[in-house]
Amino acid sequence: MNNQRRRFLKAAAAGGALYAFGRTPDTVYAQATGVGGFGDYKALVCLFMFGGNDSWNMVVPTTPAEYNAYNTSRGGDAGVGSGLAIPLASLLPINSGFGLHPSMTGMQSLFTAQRAAVIANVGPLIRPTTKAQYQTAGWELPPQLFSHNDQQDQWHSLRGKALLKSGWGGRVADVLAAQIGSQQLPLNVSLAGQTYFQAGVNARPYVMGSNGATTFAGFGSSGVNFARRQAFESVINAAQASTSNTVYERSFATVQQRAVQFADLVNGALAQARSFTALPDSGVTLSPLQTQLRTVAKMISSRTSLSMSRQVFFVSAGGFDTHDDLVADQPGLLGGVSTAVKSFYDALTEMGMENSTTLFTHSDFGRTLTSNGDGSDHAWGGVQFVVGGAVRGGTIYGDYPLLQIGSTQDVGAGRFIPSVSVDQYAATLASWFGVADPDLGLVAPSIGNFAQRNLGFMA
Amino acid sequence: MQRRGTGQAGWLSVATALMLSACGGGDSGMAPLPPVSPAPPAPVPVAVTKDEAFRFLNQSTFGATEAEAARLIALGDVTNSYSRWIDAELAKPVSTLLPYVEAAYPNPVPTGFNIASLNAPRVEKWFDNTLKGNDQLRQRVAWALSQIFVVSQVGALQNLPSATADFYDLLARDALGDYRKLLEDVTLHPAMGVYLSMLGNQQAVTGTNLRPDENYAREVMQLMSIGLVQLNTDGSAQLDAGGQPIPTYDQNTIEGFARVFTGWKWACPSTNPTCTFTNTRPQLAPVAGYNQILPMQLYTAQHETGTKKVLSYAGALPSGALIPANQTGTRDLQDALDNIANHPNVGPFISKQLIQKLVTSNPSPAYVQRVAATFNNDGSGKRGNLAAVVRSILLDAEAHPATTGVAPAAAGKVKEPLLRLTQFWRAYNAQSASGKSGVARNFAGGVTAVFGEGPGLSPSVFNFYSPGYAPPGEIANQGMVAPELQLATEYLNTQATNYFWTQAIARTITQAPTLNVDDMFINTTEEIALAADSEALVNRVADRLLGSPARMGAELKAQTKAQVDRSTNVNTRVADAIYFVATSPEYMLQR
Repeated sequence: MNNQRRRFLKAAAAGGALYAFGRTPDTVYAQATGVGGFGDYKALVCLFMFGGNDSWNMVVPTTPAEYNAYNTSRGGDAGVGSGLAIPLASLLPINSGFGLHPSMTGMQSLFTAQRAAVIANVGPLIRPTTKAQYQTAGWELPPQLFSHNDQQDQWHSLRGKALLKSGWGGRVADVLAAQIGSQQLPLNVSLAGQTYFQAGVNARPYVMGSNGATTFAGFGSSGVNFARRQAFESVINAAQASTSNTVYERSFATVQQRAVQFADLVNGALAQARSFTALPDSGVTLSPLQTQLRTVAKMISSRTSLSMSRQVFFVSAGGFDTHDDLVADQPGLLGGVSTAVKSFYDALTEMGMENSTTLFTHSDFGRTLTSNGDGSDHAWGGVQFVVGGAVRGGTIYGDYPLLQIGSTQDVGAGRFIPSVSVDQYAATLASWFGVADPDLGLVAPSIGNFAQRNLGFMA
Repeated sequence: MQRRGTGQAGWLSVATALMLSACGGGDSGMAPLPPVSPAPPAPVPVAVTKDEAFRFLNQSTFGATEAEAARLIALGDVTNSYSRWIDAELAKPVSTLLPYVEAAYPNPVPTGFNIASLNAPRVEKWFDNTLKGNDQLRQRVAWALSQIFVVSQVGALQNLPSATADFYDLLARDALGDYRKLLEDVTLHPAMGVYLSMLGNQQAVTGTNLRPDENYAREVMQLMSIGLVQLNTDGSAQLDAGGQPIPTYDQNTIEGFARVFTGWKWACPSTNPTCTFTNTRPQLAPVAGYNQILPMQLYTAQHETGTKKVLSYAGALPSGALIPANQTGTRDLQDALDNIANHPNVGPFISKQLIQKLVTSNPSPAYVQRVAATFNNDGSGKRGNLAAVVRSILLDAEAHPATTGVAPAAAGKVKEPLLRLTQFWRAYNAQSASGKSGVARNFAGGVTAVFGEGPGLSPSVFNFYSPGYAPPGEIANQGMVAPELQLATEYLNTQATNYFWTQAIARTITQAPTLNVDDMFINTTEEIALAADSEALVNRVADRLLGSPARMGAELKAQTKAQVDRSTNVNTRVADAIYFVATSPEYMLQR
């Protein structure tokens, strides 16, 4: 691809004017695509913790001064009055100066083995922001900070103040379209419903159940049952193509087409997929998150039969909106994530795919350090994990703030201005995944506003 | 054809209806009306067509049936049938959930009893009410409201089945009443108190970092009343000089309301009338006067006494948008709810969402404006009259696209997945041998695993899907939305498609004797009688589900008929006819 055009794309993206000069989204992405297929396989797995994870209790500073600030801000030790702080002695040490929530033994072992990294105080930003700038009228900030759905959408879409209806995973698929043309499935596969994260400008995700696709009950491979399938497809194809239909009918028919098209393919592949000791098919009750991750592992093991070279999976866990019962609920929430992620990593190692697969976490927002009685409220920056063999693990990236009320990054009640933007976080992952540097602005529209385009946590 | 003028609210005059119908003849499903006679001295009464009756009843009930369409048509003509139908609905008694749930409690409740299992009867009774309840309009609006004022058994309410059921009953009781009363009833209901943690919220403690909980304060404004940005009466966002939307409130306002909503907790249990904030507890068994269904009670000592910042807008009260210090907690609450309910956003915000839930995903600004104007003043000077709002929504010209010629690309909406099922079951008089409706065993993995949604089952306060959702492709590219399509994933579509297959092939009156007593089966007697004639069979199904065979696209009609004729088995022939129509894009569309 010629360099001059690449520079233009970068400049356009940096200015937020993604589709300048009257060009349609389609043509931007058509020009952005690289050449040739990929010779290797890589998968990204987005684990979204819905509700806003109180991550200040997930990775906690342990040096005396920093721990004391944390403990004071959280109102003292958990279980004493309205205190929310994890007692120092119970934290799982991971690094000089930090410890993990006591429920996260799996994550501790991954971190110690340098297979997991921590991204400290990451959150949506349009440009680097100080507290003084935050308090300045007119300073560019992501709209509706602290609101669940708006901030989920920020994490998914990196839209800033734009009204993008696409997400960064979806735009990765757009950018790589020409390089993954032989894939039999869309690049984006969700096991947890439909979000903006995986919607491209052009590309659409494929949504399956946590155990895979459902086959069509009335369809068979011969006779009347096969004819039923053909007739069904004729109906939806006609509805999809009809200009006299409403957009609602056409859009619905499009999903039906894809459902029929991919169901046999996916289930055929899953039927051939291997099993994993770490995420067994039977005999053990798996959590819903583990079930999703088991299916992801099986899909990865089926990559060759589906001609897949690049995949982005979306999985989720819920219940993180801990306005109430924070102390009682966190062991289950964080322990559940830790156990599931460790078992997923172990499954990857069983098939030798740990270096090709990177799992990373998202969540609506971090939460207030201060207590509302028995929980915490919506805030902004927080801590995330990245896990995989290609992760430069055992390290904390970004700037973990001093957890003190009124400190230089606290905008009130212990709501922290992120020190690292989700654009930087996403661009680092996208870069590892194979998005060329000049195209990162298409994936992460505000990346041009940040000096550091790559946070360095991926090898 | 010209769009109808925007300044005119309410239903068409007969003359206008005739004129519009006469020049709107391109719509395949419309029975042709007689040409306009030259200046008749008195209007000729024109009956509502079955096709239009189906359209109206899919907006106002849990699914059009031929019987209800006939009843509607018989009420009068196009000038008065709809209005008379609404009048009758307003007068009907409320169908409820709570008594059925209470009756399901064992007495006495044994130690270790799985109380969460009593959420299932709530879902059963919801199906019973939506399939057979007489108060269809009220129940349909309650269902819409339950997606705006969301509580869910998923989470902290799981062991409070009475509270969850009673909350839904509250929505049904208030659905066609006064918005301000609805807002207060919701605010003080313990189900909402538990779900959004106002219950037990207490004042800040000086010298500590303890401060009031902001959960309900935030969501009551964002989701249940005014939304995030300043709106014009037509529902469009007001923009600042830089072209950006203007927020309706800031963090300080949220903190102000968080302070208002302090001091409320479970009412004193009937067994402990002198309880305190600290020791009050929910009563788990349905004894007389149990507090699980009583409004929360104020415990003055835990109420914040200082001033509280509330919403600022032209004419806002209290003056200065500041609630004075040292009022009672009850007075604070009244002032705060008045402050919210009188915000100019409420009319357009609530009206647009109700339009989207009942009629169309993409209403014109003028449509929103007309309904919001009714919200702001029902004609008698009253604000927030929800019955008038619902009437205004359903009688608006834009709710009648076939008659009024609103752009076909934008009119209508995607039927909610669960309403595809309720309409189907209503159309086929679905029942079980036990007489129960929608018992859990009818849905492998639960109703949400099959249809993506269910009563009191939302994954969060943000409902099953977002009102702003636009799927990738032409809908997103045109700046339109199709909220219900967030549930139209490849996975869920297949689940629902298979559900209709199983229902049509294996859960009909033919198999009824071999089914479990709680399995829902459909009455296909008429279809069986027509099974030998594929044309008649397919038309019969389309009449039931679409209101008219003409509503089938050519391909749907041809393929369904051809598939029927591939089998000589009566059961298979009937099943194919039903399956193809019930899973078609035509049936998915709520026009």
